[in-house]
Amino acid sequence: MNQNATAASETRIDFGALRALVVDDYPGMRNALRLTLSNFGITKVQLAASASEAIFQIRNKAYDFILCDFNLGEGRDGQQLLEELRHSRLIPLETVFIMVTAESFYEKVVATAELAPDDYLIKPFSAETLCGRLVAILQRKRAFAEAYRHYQAQQVEAAIAACDRLLREQPRYAVDALRFKGELLIALGRFDEAEKLYQQVIAMRAIPWARLGLARALHLKHDDDAAEAELRDVLEHAPEMVAAYDLLADVCLARKDSQSAQEALQHGVAVSARTVRRQQRLGEVAMDNGDLDAARTAFSEAVEKGRHSIFIGPADYGNLCRVQLEQGDLKAVADTLRQNRRTLESNPDGRLVMAVTQSRLYTREGKADDAARALDIAADLRAAGAQGAPHLLLDLASACMANGRADEADAVVADVARNAHDSEALLEKARRIYAEAGREAAGRNVLASATADVRKLNNEGVVLAQKGDFRGATEKLLAACESAPFNPRVSMNAVWVILKYLDQDGMDEQMIQTARYHLAEAERRAPAHPRLAGLRLHLMEVEGRFGIKRASA
Amino acid sequence: MIDDDNAFYAVLIHELKNNLGLLSMTIDRIPPSGGAACDSAVDVARLQCQGVVERLQQALTIYRAKQGHLRARIDAYSPHELIAEVGQRAETLAHGRIRIDVAVDESVPPIWFFDRDLVEMALINAIHNSLVYARSVMRIEAGAGHGWLELTVRDDSAGYPGHILASVAAGAPCRARGTGLGLQFARLIAQAHEHRGRLGELHLANDGGAVFRLRLP
Repeated sequence: MNQNATAASETRIDFGALRALVVDDYPGMRNALRLTLSNFGITKVQLAASASEAIFQIRNKAYDFILCDFNLGEGRDGQQLLEELRHSRLIPLETVFIMVTAESFYEKVVATAELAPDDYLIKPFSAETLCGRLVAILQRKRAFAEAYRHYQAQQVEAAIAACDRLLREQPRYAVDALRFKGELLIALGRFDEAEKLYQQVIAMRAIPWARLGLARALHLKHDDDAAEAELRDVLEHAPEMVAAYDLLADVCLARKDSQSAQEALQHGVAVSARTVRRQQRLGEVAMDNGDLDAARTAFSEAVEKGRHSIFIGPADYGNLCRVQLEQGDLKAVADTLRQNRRTLESNPDGRLVMAVTQSRLYTREGKADDAARALDIAADLRAAGAQGAPHLLLDLASACMANGRADEADAVVADVARNAHDSEALLEKARRIYAEAGREAAGRNVLASATADVRKLNNEGVVLAQKGDFRGATEKLLAACESAPFNPRVSMNAVWVILKYLDQDGMDEQMIQTARYHLAEAERRAPAHPRLAGLRLHLMEVEGRFGIKRASA
Repeated sequence: MIDDDNAFYAVLIHELKNNLGLLSMTIDRIPPSGGAACDSAVDVARLQCQGVVERLQQALTIYRAKQGHLRARIDAYSPHELIAEVGQRAETLAHGRIRIDVAVDESVPPIWFFDRDLVEMALINAIHNSLVYARSVMRIEAGAGHGWLELTVRDDSAGYPGHILASVAAGAPCRARGTGLGLQFARLIAQAHEHRGRLGELHLANDGGAVFRLRLP
């Protein structure tokens, strides 16, 4: 393929220095791709047969170029691999990731821009096509080097300035620069500017990602009517665009229309069933809607498809067991626990899921002694620091009540309520548990006294912040955090006022650490919350301004 | 169930296409033997193999179009890169048998909005046709004006037969064989491009040879 030497030399890309990784489950294809790459001078090629092999190699060595087949047989597919790599920040923005797919409908499985590969190739493709695409991407990344460098150094303003420079000086990359800038504006919470930017792209051509960006900006501005109209229209023209369904679900939930949110997620799952996080959300929304069949299907899919995924944790097994129990399918519960015993036993949170589920199972089977023993184990695990998702804790409370341990139950519910004073769904579920146990009055007292303090501190803090008294607001919200350490909204409010306080009063190392801690807590509790990205960047900017190196987490 | 049968055949074609893709990559790896007879046979095999792959791809695309699934995925791409890449493909496929000229007019903007994969398939198909009929030269061109991007493949062959020109001009369904199938396919691809009420077009003409032109709004 020596003709390609011309293409390569014109652009001065040193193929010999490129470190490449080929991921394909089929040995014939792996070798064919390796030879194709070596034909145009890429000789540093390593091979991986599965997503886990790829992750192992990427952890151990940096690659400039990853060529990955979408279909990797059993286990994770190429898209799941890419999502994990991006999520765990295992590959920098400079690394080229090209997805190889047998289908020309690959895009339907791509959730959002940040989870998209740099390009994709439809099988079968020629060596020239591969070479041409690779060169084009490497050139683009070179043009974006400055923007990427600033972004990765947490200098978002400077990254935006670099995009603006590309817009002025390199018309070839104008649309790519707008796309990157749009994401930066959203992350900074500058939704009005983002809205204008996407309108500007749409004026050129109504490309789906721009319309989706516009809908996201509108949603974040709380203009959910306009966001929904935009999304419905996008989906009418491109019903396979799953990212639009995810966003539509956000919009519906913001308007408290969880029925429509479930429908949106179900459409998304029908197009692409493999995304673990979409199944998790569908399960949760369906559960809140009381649609047990749909919830069970979604939770089992999540656990099944995500067996090796970093996005699956003990709470997912807890969710599946809960819906199986509510359906009265005790055999299925026992099967779920048995099949996943090794995973669950490997950490305290997993053991808590087992103990709580077993206590409920034994209670249903009338085995009071076994149930009591399981509750003791759960109490010990909690005393030793196992936390458990709020739904699991409410399950625990209900098991406690069923076994005559009312005080223990009240303490657990109070714990949940303090951390979820703003979650109507959880409080409602708590009330139901008390109603079923015939203890409505006791429940009202527990919930009222548990939420009163947090609610008061949180509201006072927010009011002070709105008046510009960030020091006072910080005090109130840190007190709120103390009584509700796992409440993501309280944590995020605390981070927000601390950052405002630092903006106003300058450097305070201790406070930065506190902000960092509460942001990490909020991220753990509400990983997809739209406020997180903005807070994260704000924190990075404050850190950058005071020259603080982020401690490696 | 006719629909089930069709879906079954579509899956089968899909698989054959991928198997042939592997075969074609294997042929690409056969080193030159130095013997002209042997090398030219390998060249012919390579060309034929890729030709079959492309035919199968077309068949699948037409199947999808009939199911109502042929949607262009429009994004911003560089016509310059597209023409360079397609020119390289043509060069490799021609293997020196004919000369390949590539020309991008100054009027072509740095980016245009189109479905790169579909447009590339249509152009490669036209290139395959020209490789069969061209006498000595093929020219791949891009031009722009009045809100259209024009991508052209022309050769010095005897030109398209009259009935094909007539049926494409009339928008009539072509014979679903050989050149006709490829042209029907190209027209579907052109029409999948829509912008402000204007649809993409396929123009065929004879002008010193066959002229194949995609016009994209």
